[in-house]
Parts: sequence; structure tokens; C-alpha cells
Amino acid sequence: MAAVSSLSLVITLFFIVSLLIILALIVRPRPVKIPIKSRHVFITGGSSGIGLALAHLAASEGARVSILARSVSKLAEAKRSIRLATGVEVATFSADVRDYEAVSRAAEESGPVDVLIVNQGVFIGKELEKQSAEEVKFMIDVNLVGSFNVIKAALPSMKGRGLPASISLVSSQAGQAGIYGYTAYSASKFGLQGLAQALQQEVISHDIHVSLLFPPDTDTPGFEEEQKKRPELTSIIAASSGSMKTKEVAKICLDGIKAGKFTVTCHFIGYLLSIATSGMSPQRSFWLAFMEVMFGSLVRFVGLFFQWGWYNTIDKWSKQNKTSNSKLA
Amino acid sequence: MSPSFLLLLLIPLVPLSLLAILSLIVRPKPIRIPIKSRHVFITGGSSGIGLALAHRAASEGARVSILARSAKKLEEARQSIKLATGVEVAAFSADVRDYDAVSKAIDESGPIDVLIVNQGVFTARELEKHSVEDVKFTIDVNLVGSFNVIKAALPGMKAREGRGPASISLVSSQAGQVGVYGYAAYSASKFGLQGLAQSLQQEVIADDIHVTLVFPPDTDTPGFEEEQKSRPEVTAIIAASSGSMKTEEVARRAMDGIKAGKFTVSCNFEGFLLALATTGMSPQRSFWLAFLEVITAGPIRLIALFFQWDWYNAIEKWSKTKNK
Repeated sequence: MAAVSSLSLVITLFFIVSLLIILALIVRPRPVKIPIKSRHVFITGGSSGIGLALAHLAASEGARVSILARSVSKLAEAKRSIRLATGVEVATFSADVRDYEAVSRAAEESGPVDVLIVNQGVFIGKELEKQSAEEVKFMIDVNLVGSFNVIKAALPSMKGRGLPASISLVSSQAGQAGIYGYTAYSASKFGLQGLAQALQQEVISHDIHVSLLFPPDTDTPGFEEEQKKRPELTSIIAASSGSMKTKEVAKICLDGIKAGKFTVTCHFIGYLLSIATSGMSPQRSFWLAFMEVMFGSLVRFVGLFFQWGWYNTIDKWSKQNKTSNSKLA
Repeated sequence: MSPSFLLLLLIPLVPLSLLAILSLIVRPKPIRIPIKSRHVFITGGSSGIGLALAHRAASEGARVSILARSAKKLEEARQSIKLATGVEVAAFSADVRDYDAVSKAIDESGPIDVLIVNQGVFTARELEKHSVEDVKFTIDVNLVGSFNVIKAALPGMKAREGRGPASISLVSSQAGQVGVYGYAAYSASKFGLQGLAQSLQQEVIADDIHVTLVFPPDTDTPGFEEEQKSRPEVTAIIAASSGSMKTEEVARRAMDGIKAGKFTVSCNFEGFLLALATTGMSPQRSFWLAFLEVITAGPIRLIALFFQWDWYNAIEKWSKTKNK
């Protein structure tokens, strides 16, 4: 009996160690570190929310920072606030990411980019039926097409920088799981995953490294607006994850960018979600790869439990609302 | 002796309990979508997979409408279906990017039971060489266009009292499960459909509307022939991992999957493995498939990492030879 249990222990250990060794040999692309100090960090949507917090952090870490956004006055406020907090002067550029020419001019003026953080984003939570076709187009144009514009504009200057360069895309947990009320927003953020996976394959040989950042609900001005108007059901389901403070999200994100991770999550639930949705994304750390392989099954099981919870909630809520509607009739 | 015997009994108990639990929790509940005598509306229905789907639906006794841009191709499609099945399909000419035109066409066609959002354009090119106009075109047609079609069809679909379960299918691509060199814009547009589908299913389940994502591999359509001429070398190397299929076969698998009310429909074995690897947070309506997903998740991720190793090695080798 004791022999059987020590044998099974040895076999298990052997299996684990072999898996670790195999993963250490095969994970691609290879790990890399992205330095920030004295390098040019270019942040879109950098005048508020997560983008502004990232700009503050990068400036305080000694980077040369440029921020791009639409509103000239918000850019000036951002510039002032960073100067007050860190003493650093950031460069500001006013452009709409949907306008490729404008973005291109801004990128050129700012000079070659080392660390690009594509962070602009708009979100309006609403059932697709109630959402206007214009609102849908707006979200996809800004969040997805806009990201393509920014990357295309900066890419040529990012080659041959001597040190590893980085392109980060700020996604969302809504870019890992689509939920009620978020058809257009989730679509735009899921799109970033397709972009990132393909892009990494295209730019790896130029020593450019792609990161996808997945913040949860974050207490930004944009989020406050959105919370007021989003469907009740959306709030119930999104509560599964909890929210975080902007500064903390920015710190964790910048750390992830510097560590050259492809997938950057901000809290434990986010981490579990990233294991569940690792799909065909590359994993550069053999430890994280080990976690994905070992826990993938358990996490899918948990994911199915979440679906069960969500669909039960939807069922219950729609029955209540049908009855109240018929009462009104 | 007794304790180890009991232990042996426990071994099959684990998968059996898992199966039992899954059969209780999988949501949404399984459903079948009838096709016969129902209104099937197919966008991009004048050629390729859409046309093949229209042929199938017509031969299965559905009332078929097809939408596309070119009136000429629509007419050819109508003729070909009439010749093959004797059935008259309704044809509507509109650009999916034009919400008002799509809306008008859908209103004219009447309430839809089975919507198949199939229009798609694709160009394989490194993002650096891909024009901003073409990137925008790809996303506008494949993603925004799909939103337009669904938005236009939804009110009619909800108002079909007592007509049975309705279905909204989106034709994605294996490029919508994995992003590959040369496909930044195309993959982005197809990954977007996954986000749309997951959210949409939550919004329309209460109206007995069921969402399906179809994932064809490279398929021998006229569109694909065009694309192959100009795709980058690396793209061809990587895409070869999956192999291609005939249009009729893809349409058959797609239609079967739609009728079975599946959320995820794959078309060949590699596609099935890819679907297991990329199941993510998508719903699974079949507890058998859920069981398979849970059991294989870890090992499949290992296989996926092997593919990444292979692809990145190929890219490294290719870029070194190019630099020489």
C-alpha cells in the first residue's frame, strides 16, 4: 500500500518535471524585458482614465512621454497634472484615432516610438436592439479600426530601435467574455485579440513585442458615465468580477508591459479568466504555460458554472420583466 | 484488499459525476432548429459558402432569401438554384455597410426564422503593407456589416409569435479562432464575431433565438482563389497546418450544426480540435461536448503551445533567409 502511494508520487513528480522541461523548451516567442526609462512611450487616450494613469507612471519612471487624445483642453489638464506630480513635461497631440492622416502626423511629430500603448476606448452598454447603428459603428471605429490606425502610423518608426520595442493594446474583460449589453463593445475588444495574435507573428523578427491588457471595471470617469446608463442585467452579470482603482490597474499593466507578457491581467479573477480564454494566444513564460496546461480543465469547468449562473439570472430577470409588462398592459 | 478495491471503484466515479453535473448545468439548454418551410435569409448568398447554403436550404424545403451587392451575381445564383432544386429564391441587392438598405431588404423579405450572416471579404497582407482603407473595408463589411444585418432582422425575428425557435448564425473562420501572420485585419474582424455572438446569445435567449458561430477552414470558393494569389508566403506556410475543404462539404456541416442548435460549429477534425482549444468563455449546450472540453482543455493547450513553437520557428527561419 505504501509502495503504491510512493510510486504514484514519483510518477506524478516525474510527469510534472517533464512537463515543465518540455514547456521551458517550447514556449515562443522567447521571454523579453521591455525597458521604460529614457525611452519614448506614446499613449493614446492618454488624457484621462487608465491612459492618464499610465502616462503618470511612465513619466515618474523616467520615460519620455507623449499622449494623444481628441480634446485639447483635457490634454492641457493632463499635461499640467503630470508636471505637478512628477516634474516631467509630456508632449501632447490632439487627434481622433479614426483619422489616419491626423494620427500619422502626430506619430511623426512625436518622433520614433519605443513603447506604444493603444489605450483609447469608448463604451456604451446597451442591448443591441436598443443601440443605434451609429453607436455600434462608433465603438468599433474608435476601439478597433482606430487601434489599427495608431499601430500602422507608429510601426515603421518602431523598427530598429536597438532595444526591444513594445506595442500594448488595452482590451477589457469584455474582450475575453461577451456579456449582455456589450455586443458592440465586446466585438471591438475581441477584435484586438485577433489583431494582437497576428501582429505578434508579423513583428517578432523586428524585436517588437505585443501585449494585451485586460482590466476589469475600473473607476475612471468613462466608467462612471457608463454605469449610470447600462442595462440592469449587465450590472448583475459584471458584478461577478468586481472593480479596481485606476492607479492600481495602471501599475499592474505597466509591470506586465515591462515583463514582456503577451497577456496581462489585473486581479485573480482576471487571471483565471485569462487561463480560460488562453485559446491560441502565445505564452512566453513556461511557468504560466504550466499553469494553463495544469488548470485549463478545472477553469473550463468553472467557466461553465458561470454560464449556468448567468443564464439562470437572465431567465429569472426576463420572466419578472414579462410579468410586470403584462401587468402594465 | 477492501480499501484498494474501493479506491478502484472511485476511479470511474470521477468522470461519471463530472458528466452528471455537466448535464445539469450546461446552458443554454439544447435546442433543434427546423429548416423546412421556414424563412432562411442568407447574406453574401450569391457565391461561395453562402450560395452553397442557399442551395441546401432550398433543397430542404425552406423559403430562401439571399442578399448580396451585385444584382448580376444574384440573378446567376437564382438561376442556378432554380435549375438544381426547382425552388425560386428571393434576391435582394444591398451593401451590408448600408444599414438603411439592409433594413429595407429585410423588411421586404418578411420575418426571418433562420438568419445566416455570411458575407465576408478577406485580404491576407502584413499590416505594414495593408492599406488603411482595406483594413477599414474588412472590418466594416465583416463586423459592422454583421451588426447591421442582425439589428435589421431582430425586431421581425422577435415578433414571430408561435413560429418556433429562431436562429442567427455568423460565418466566422478558423482565422477567427487564431490570429495568423498576414491576417491582422481579417482575424480582428472575425474574432469580433465571437464577442458579438457571446453577448447576443445572452440578449436574445429569452426570445427563443439561438446563436451559432460557424468556423470553416480554407474553403475552395472564388473569394479564396483570389486571396491565395496574393497572400504572403509565411501565411501559406502556417495555414497549411489545417488544410482546405470543398464548399459543398462546408455548407453541409454548417447547416447540420445550425439545425442542431450548436453555438460552435466546426467543419473538419482540425477545426474541431481548434474549437476545443479556443472554447474560452463560449457557452456549450451539449453536456457531452462540455465533458470533452473539460477533459481535454489542459492537454489541448499543450498542443496549441507546440503549434506556436512550430510557427514561430518557421517565422524565424523565413525572416533569416529573407535578410540574407
